[in-house]
Amino acid sequence: MPRLVKRALPLLLLILATGLAACGSSSDNGGSSSATADDGAGGHRGGTLTVLTSQDITSLDPGITYQSLDLNVLASTMRTLYTYEPTAPATLVPDLAAGPPQISDGGKTLTVRIRRGVRFAPPVSREVTARDVKYAIERGFNPNVANAYASTYYGDVVGADRASGGAIAGIQTPDDFTLVFRLTRPTASLLAQSTVLPLSAPVPQEYAKPFDAKAPSQYAAHVVSTGPYMVAADSDGKVLGEGYVPGRSLRLVRNPNWSAAGDHRPAYLDGIDFEIGGSGTVYGRQTLAGRGLVLADPPTPALVKKAYQEARDQIFFSPGAGTRYAALNTAIPPFDDANVRKAVAAALDREQMRRVRGGEVIGDIASHFLYPGVQGFEKAGGLEGTGVDFLAHPEGDTALAARYMRAAGYPSGRYTGGETLQIVGLAGAPDSNDAQIFDQTLQDLGFKTSLKLVDSGVMYGRFCGVPRARVHACPNVGWIRDFADPQTVLNLAFNGNFIFPENNPNWPQLNDAAINRAMARGELTVGDAARASAWAEIDRMITATAAAVPWLYDRQPNVFAADVRCVPELWNQGHCDFAYTSLKP
Amino acid sequence: MSVGAPGLLAQEDRYERDFTAGVARSPWQLFSRRLREDRVAMAALATIVLLILVAVLAPLVVKLAGAPGPNVQDRDATDMFGTPLGPNGDHWFGVDPLGRDVFSRTVYGARVSLLVGIVGTGVAVLVGVTVGLIAGYYRGWVDTLLSRFVDVVLSFPVLLLGIGIASACSLGKGCVGGAITPGVRTVILVIALVTWTSIARVVRGQVLSLREREFVVAARALGASNRRVVVREILPNLTAPIIVYSSLLLPQTILLEAALSFLGVGVSPPTASWGWMIADASDNFDTQWWYMVFPGAALLLTVLACNLLGDGLRDALDPRAER
Repeated sequence: MPRLVKRALPLLLLILATGLAACGSSSDNGGSSSATADDGAGGHRGGTLTVLTSQDITSLDPGITYQSLDLNVLASTMRTLYTYEPTAPATLVPDLAAGPPQISDGGKTLTVRIRRGVRFAPPVSREVTARDVKYAIERGFNPNVANAYASTYYGDVVGADRASGGAIAGIQTPDDFTLVFRLTRPTASLLAQSTVLPLSAPVPQEYAKPFDAKAPSQYAAHVVSTGPYMVAADSDGKVLGEGYVPGRSLRLVRNPNWSAAGDHRPAYLDGIDFEIGGSGTVYGRQTLAGRGLVLADPPTPALVKKAYQEARDQIFFSPGAGTRYAALNTAIPPFDDANVRKAVAAALDREQMRRVRGGEVIGDIASHFLYPGVQGFEKAGGLEGTGVDFLAHPEGDTALAARYMRAAGYPSGRYTGGETLQIVGLAGAPDSNDAQIFDQTLQDLGFKTSLKLVDSGVMYGRFCGVPRARVHACPNVGWIRDFADPQTVLNLAFNGNFIFPENNPNWPQLNDAAINRAMARGELTVGDAARASAWAEIDRMITATAAAVPWLYDRQPNVFAADVRCVPELWNQGHCDFAYTSLKP
Repeated sequence: MSVGAPGLLAQEDRYERDFTAGVARSPWQLFSRRLREDRVAMAALATIVLLILVAVLAPLVVKLAGAPGPNVQDRDATDMFGTPLGPNGDHWFGVDPLGRDVFSRTVYGARVSLLVGIVGTGVAVLVGVTVGLIAGYYRGWVDTLLSRFVDVVLSFPVLLLGIGIASACSLGKGCVGGAITPGVRTVILVIALVTWTSIARVVRGQVLSLREREFVVAARALGASNRRVVVREILPNLTAPIIVYSSLLLPQTILLEAALSFLGVGVSPPTASWGWMIADASDNFDTQWWYMVFPGAALLLTVLACNLLGDGLRDALDPRAER
C-alpha cells in the first residue's frame, strides 16, 4: 500500500486509544458469543433522543473525521457511496451509489453509478452529482483538510501520489451520475470497500471551496448534510455556535431535503441532542435511570456490572471491537531476542488483564491479532489460538516463561541485565490497571522497569509511535479494522515497510522479510475466501514472532435508557445508530 | 508573624511565677515546658512520630499485620466483573481494582508523603533562609533584586507551575538534559521551587530588624566578618521563626505532593502514593468507598497533626505572637 501512510496516523491512533477505535464487525465467520442485536424494524416514530458524552466529537467534516463517535454522528447525516447497515457489518450496501461497484480492467478500474434524486440539505439544496463525490475525495488530499486515510485507501488512484487538493486525473465523471476510478494497481475491490468511510460523502464544491481555502479548512463549521438528519444551522448554513457548540452541545434535526425513497434508513427520531463534557460516571448513572438517553462513553466497569446485573436489556456488548495487545520493541534489547519476548507472553496473566476491565462480558482473551468478526479470524485459529505454546495459558505460565528465559541465556530463568526498561501505558482506569499488571509481570521476570502513564495522544505521538524514543514496551495499544477486510487490521500494524520516524503504526517495529513478502502478496489477493486465507496465514506468522502479546478481543459495552430501542452499529463500536434507533412509546 | 501586641495575661502570669520563684530558665527550657503543657501539640507530635515510625518500618508493619506487600496483585480478591472486595479479614482496608491490599498501600504511601514532605520542606527552607538572609543583610540592590524575584515567583499560579514542570520532567529521560529525572526527585524539586518564597520573605523581614540591633552592631564593631555576623549572630536568632514556618510548610508540601499525584504528575505507579490512590478511586467512589476513604483519612490525619504541631510550636516559641 501507499507511501504516504505517515500522514494517515495521528487520528487513527487517538481513536485506537480512547475506546479502541473506529469500526467493528461480526460476520458469520466470527466466533464471538454476542447478544443478538435489534435491527430496529417497525420502530415508533417521533421523539428526541439525548446522547450523553464526556468526550467532544473531533470534527463534523466528513473529510477529516476518523473517530468512533464522529462516525456515529455522520452515519445519520452523510450518505457515502457504500455503507454497512448497522446489524450487518460485513455486507457492503449501496447508499449514495445506485448499485454494486463495477470492477473492470483486471481490478484496475472501479465504476460507481450515483443515485438520482439525492439532495443536499439547506442552504445548498441541489441534487448531488458525481462531481461532488470527486471533490470530496480530492479535498481529502488538501493539506487544509489532511484526511488521515486518503493516501492509505485512495493512494493507488492514478495521480493521487501527487495530489494536494486539486483535481486527481484518476477520478473521472463521464456524466453527472457516473464516477470512474482508474488505479495503478489491481486493488479496486479494496477501494470500493473503503468508500464506507466518510471521505466518500459528497461535498458541494461551489459552497465548500472558500472554506477549504483556509488553513485549516472551515468546512466543519458550515457542513452540509445529505442524510436524514443535519446539524442545526442558521440560514447561511453555519452550524458552529448554532447546532454545535464545541465542548457543550450538538443538535441534530431532520434534513428537510431528505427523502425516504431511495434510502434504507428508517429515521424514526425527530432529533438528536448531544450533551457534551460532563462526567462519564455521572452520565452513566443518569442513562441507566433516565428516559430517552444514550451513553456515548465507554461505561466504567462498575456501571457495566450494575447494568449487567440489574438492567440486562439496557446494555449491549458489541462484538468485534478490535484487538488489544502489548507491543514489545523488537528493534532494541532485550526484546530483540524472540525467546525473551516469548517469556513475557507466557508469563502475562491475560485473564487478569481482562478482569480489571470488567471480566468475561467485555471480551474474549486474545491469542492472535485478527479478531472475531474479521475475515480470516477462524482460519487463523479462532478463539483457540494459533497453537503457540506461549499463548496457551491465559492465566500465565511462569514455568514456561522461565524455560524461555533460560533459552534466551538466563540460566536462573530470570532476567539479569542491568538496564531499566521504559514502559509507556495509558493513564486512567481501567487502562492504567492493565499497564500495571504488565509492568508487574516484567518485574516478576527480573526486569527493572520505569512505567509512565500518559494520555493517548502522548503515548502514540511521543513514545510508542516514535522509534527514537526507545520505549521497550507499550502494553495498551490496539487496532481495529477500518472496514470488513483483514488487511486493514494487520498491514499497517506489522508491515516492516511502515516503520516511520514519527507516527509509526508498527509499534513493535517488526520487520520480518517473510511477513513483508506475504503481505505484499496478500494486498493483491482477490476474493473474500482467498483474502481470508492469505491474511490468516500472515496473522499466524506474526503471532509466532511474539513481537506483540495479544490480550483482548474487545466487546464494547454500550448503555442506554430503558425506553430506548437501540440499534447498535456493529461496524462501529456498537453505538446506537440514530437513523435506526427509536423511542418506545 | 505579627509582633508587638501585649502578651496574654495567663502567659504574663507564668513569667511572673517563674520570676517570683527565683527560677532561672533558658529559652529552650521555657519552650519545651510550654510545649509539654500543650496537650494538643503533644498529641500531634505523638501522631507524627508514629507516622514516621510506620513509614520507616513499613515492611515490618505490613508483615505484622499479615497483609500482602503493596504491589502484590491478588486476583482472587476481585469478583468476575473485576470489582474489588471491601474490608474483610484478609484485607483490612479492602483491595484496589488490581487486587492490591489497600492497608499495605496506605502504609507504604506514608513513605512517599513523608519523604517528599520532609525533604521538600527542607530544601525549601534551605533556599528560603539563604535568600532571606542575603536580601535582608545586604539590603540595597541585592535586596531589590532578590525581593522582586520572590515577587515574581509568588505571582506564579503554584499548582499550574507545578503541573507544568512536573509533566515536562516526568516523561522519558527527564528535562534539563537529564539533570532532573522523573519520579520522587522531580516532585521534591517542584515543591521546593514553589514554596521557598514565603519563608524567604519572613526571614528577610526578621534580618532587616536584627541587623540594626546592638549585638550585631557590637559584633561588627569588633571586626567580625559579614559571614560571621550572619552565621553566628543573626542566624541563631532566627531559629524560632524558622522552626515555626517549617512546621507549617510541611503539611502544605504533603498536600501539594498529593495534589500532583492526584493530577497524575507525581510519583509514578506502581509506587503507592495517597494522592494517586485517591485519584484512582474517585471514579468508583460510590461502590468502592474503601479505596478512597483510607488513604484520604491517612492524608487528613497527617496534615492535621502537622498543622496542630506547627501551631503548638509557634505558641511555645513565641508566646507573644497573636494567633
